[in-house]
Amino acid sequence: MMRISYIGGSATMISNLLRGCNGLIKQGQGIDILKFQVREMSRVKRRHTVPPFWLPKATRILYPEHTTPQNEDFITEYISDTYSSPLKVEPWERGEWSTKSVRCGLIARKIGIYPMWTVEGKRKLATLLHVKENHVVKYIPPEERSKEKYSRMAAVIVGAESDDPRKFTRQYKSIFTNAGILPKKKLTKFLVTPNAKLQPGTPLFASHFRPGDIVDIRGMTIDRGFQGVVKRWGFKGGRASHGTTKNHRRTGNIGGGGEKSRVWPGKKMPGHMGREHRFLRGLEVLRVNAAENVLWVTGPAVPGPTGAFVYIYDTVLPHLRCSTAPPFPTYFPEDEVHSDEKYAENIHVFSNSSITFT
Amino acid sequence: MDVADVGVRCIQAASRLKSALTIGMCLQNEVRQMRTTFAQNSSRYLKKDFKEDLVVPEDFRHVYPEFLPDPNPEWRNNLRERLERQDMLARRSVINIPEFYVGTVMAVSVADPNASGKVNRFLGICIQRGGTGLRAWFILRNVIDNQGVEILYEMYSPLIQGIEVIRLEKRLDGELLYLRDALPEYSTFPLDMEEEILPDGAPVPVNPVKVKLKPRPWHERWERKNFQGVQDLGLPERFYKRAKELEKPYEKYDLMKEYRATIPEEEQAEIFAEIAPHYPRLEAGRRQRKRRTLTKT
Repeated sequence: MMRISYIGGSATMISNLLRGCNGLIKQGQGIDILKFQVREMSRVKRRHTVPPFWLPKATRILYPEHTTPQNEDFITEYISDTYSSPLKVEPWERGEWSTKSVRCGLIARKIGIYPMWTVEGKRKLATLLHVKENHVVKYIPPEERSKEKYSRMAAVIVGAESDDPRKFTRQYKSIFTNAGILPKKKLTKFLVTPNAKLQPGTPLFASHFRPGDIVDIRGMTIDRGFQGVVKRWGFKGGRASHGTTKNHRRTGNIGGGGEKSRVWPGKKMPGHMGREHRFLRGLEVLRVNAAENVLWVTGPAVPGPTGAFVYIYDTVLPHLRCSTAPPFPTYFPEDEVHSDEKYAENIHVFSNSSITFT
Repeated sequence: MDVADVGVRCIQAASRLKSALTIGMCLQNEVRQMRTTFAQNSSRYLKKDFKEDLVVPEDFRHVYPEFLPDPNPEWRNNLRERLERQDMLARRSVINIPEFYVGTVMAVSVADPNASGKVNRFLGICIQRGGTGLRAWFILRNVIDNQGVEILYEMYSPLIQGIEVIRLEKRLDGELLYLRDALPEYSTFPLDMEEEILPDGAPVPVNPVKVKLKPRPWHERWERKNFQGVQDLGLPERFYKRAKELEKPYEKYDLMKEYRATIPEEEQAEIFAEIAPHYPRLEAGRRQRKRRTLTKT
């Protein structure tokens, strides 16, 4: 049994090493590879306090206008007239689903956590996600999205949570003119296969996902501020007593000597923790409320605090992807009206009688 | 009463009074009165339909405390609380969750795949209750075969087959965790105890029993807790001296602390307005026990 342990070095070095190991495995020798610490990405900025230069400024400074109540009424009437009628365009063709298709996702707000019970009586915490006023803002075909020869994916820009047009800049509102919808507070891009294309202005609902579907959720983790090494990296710290002097939660030794007698880049130390985008994969949708557009997903660990935006995707995990056709390219109310609540097979409905064992 | 009236009355009062201190006290009284009327008026006008006939029952927050959400603003969300209350009412339509307090003797039957008859019944005194919404829980304590047993039950768990209130009463304290250090006779209740009937409409009796504790060591420093339901602890003077040093007598004047820990009356009214259609059914269930026992005799 050959034992390889390598600490430090770039990702390319490690992938070359692994390729070499593959050869050895084919020859019949067992390999036992210990954990690698990749230090390449330690200098890249993980968080940005300022948005990128190419993003148009969204909100404008609201000065006190002192509008009279009559003018206020007129303005609200004008806004509702402008945005109430749908665009007079031919609806696009709907693509056919295949196992390789990728549909767009949804933008939701994490509104809370409460317990649900399975039919066997096991308690499961479920996170509630409110899909509020999602609309397709733009569709970008593959050729326009990327000049690379191998790019097959199109892009669908989705917006969530409409707000008063007076709060936004003219430049930002121009993004929504094609779709004919109120400007949105949150925008994101979902990469889809071209057969999952969606017309701008299409509303997206929570029924896009069905109970039993497996989803991945991307969110920005809770901002924990400047944290020490014990909380940030899980270091053990020092002794609590027995004469320990001022060394209860400290880092300890930060390097060795010899040839590499310096502090290595990427050394785990105290610093800012949280406020980073993370994916949580393989969550099951337990329940869907079509009337309120709320999804229940397993677990309390959805990244972000209560009230934060999250992005929900169909899962990427190959063994959990759905084998039957989901609502493709999305759920359209004119096809099938979902007015009541739907539960996953294994979930106990509260209005049913108590669970008994026979 | 509005601000102008208050001002005029204060000036009139001041002209009659001799010292500056009493003026301050008078203003305080008027402000307190103004605050309560403002609260009453605002709770009326916050409701969009001006449902003046909808009066929040005095005991709503004591009988159904888990319907009020956790006051921590980090976790509050109107839609989630509304959906949670809907689920709670759905569960309550299937099983009757009676009115109980800390100090009530109750029996809970749960479905248990490993029990004979597949149902496990436990009787005990409620020593603590907590949680909000679907996470509401309570702890029952009893002494079985000289072994103290405490079980935490989730009120809305679908495994619960039934909750019976054997003896409905309150104690002098909001928590009875000191029963762990008390003599076992105070925590022992026969498992086949019969339901005790209360006359219809009677207030919940308060049991003024003072419990005798076992000699130290204890689970907690009970001398620092100011519990009314324990007998004189009989400790040396230094314990009480240290307890007095650690006292925080100013805490009861901390209005903001009280504000942060409670749901305002206006919001309670809104929550009650949501539950109001189901309230007759809930109340019928609450009194069902008493009516059922009356017909038995």
